[in-house]
Amino acid sequence: MRKIKPFANERDSLEINGLIIENRIDRVSVYGSITITRDKKGLKAARKIAVIFSSIIKQLDSENLPDSLPSPKAGDIIDNPFE
Amino acid sequence: MKARSIVFAVFLVFFASVAMAASSPCPQHYLSGEAPDFLNPRLSTKSKEVCYSGFTVIHSGVTRTPLTSAEHLTKERLSKHVKRNGEFHPDSNLPASDRAELADYAQSGYDRGHMAPAADMTDKKSMSECFTLANMIPQNSNNNQNLWEGIERTVREFAKSSGDLYVVTGPIFYGAKLKRLNGRVTVPTYVYKAVYDMNSQQAAAYLVKNEKGKKYVRISIPELEKLSGIAVFPKLSADAKKNVLPLPDPLIHGRASATEDRTLLPMQ
Repeated sequence: MRKIKPFANERDSLEINGLIIENRIDRVSVYGSITITRDKKGLKAARKIAVIFSSIIKQLDSENLPDSLPSPKAGDIIDNPFE
Repeated sequence: MKARSIVFAVFLVFFASVAMAASSPCPQHYLSGEAPDFLNPRLSTKSKEVCYSGFTVIHSGVTRTPLTSAEHLTKERLSKHVKRNGEFHPDSNLPASDRAELADYAQSGYDRGHMAPAADMTDKKSMSECFTLANMIPQNSNNNQNLWEGIERTVREFAKSSGDLYVVTGPIFYGAKLKRLNGRVTVPTYVYKAVYDMNSQQAAAYLVKNEKGKKYVRISIPELEKLSGIAVFPKLSADAKKNVLPLPDPLIHGRASATEDRTLLPMQ
């Protein structure tokens, strides 16, 4: 199975039955929707999700975390180059 | 004499842009093989067309985003499925000074929003290619993950039922001031998705603001051209453009929770 190292890069992305997981250095985005069916496929998908979430928890647990992330980088404001 | 040489220069620019459009290196992704045309000539500064197997981008080295991302969506294409596994990456087809890097988006709070969506890709090559930053805009995450995902899905379902669509997706940089990430990547004001249906020979576009929420509006191709400065389907005649495609209501995660709001389109 494809794995990600949570918060390690801005590159990795994977999908588990419609659920999308994207790695960022300040977050892991998880979106989309998934139905876990009461069958072998459902169990396999649920296990994959559990592996990813436990690696996220393990990583966060090992860090000295702030209460919440600082605000995103502000960026600058420019004149519209096309107007 | 001076005035005449200016007129001549304008003519040269005009012919150059026409010639560029006619000789698109990747006609298979475009309606009648014709790449979008810039009605606002400033959009062509540092622009470059890059072909991939599942879509084609016209990239701007000014904003370091695509301006258009074009796809041919057919029922047959969408009958195949490949897992959405990919790695976001800077585009080696573009000069380093013109392209976005992963670091530009880092800690910005913005998603890297696909213009040609990953779920439209049906083999490993096009799937991995669509994760190029040349196909991404800084997109509000709530918008990208909900409303916009719903519009993408609705267009896929429409392609499966109607059979044969040409789709052009891109950002619109509107207003006097714009936000820029890391001094490099410009944040668009709107996102559009234009659709031409081969079956009914009609076209229209969805338009959303690049912000949180569930509001969208369906607009005509002339309205899109006016707002974006881009003729997305340049081969369509003025009469054909008036023939507005009744685009389906978008569903968000399967629910009819999006609301159409005509006031999203600024008065012009």
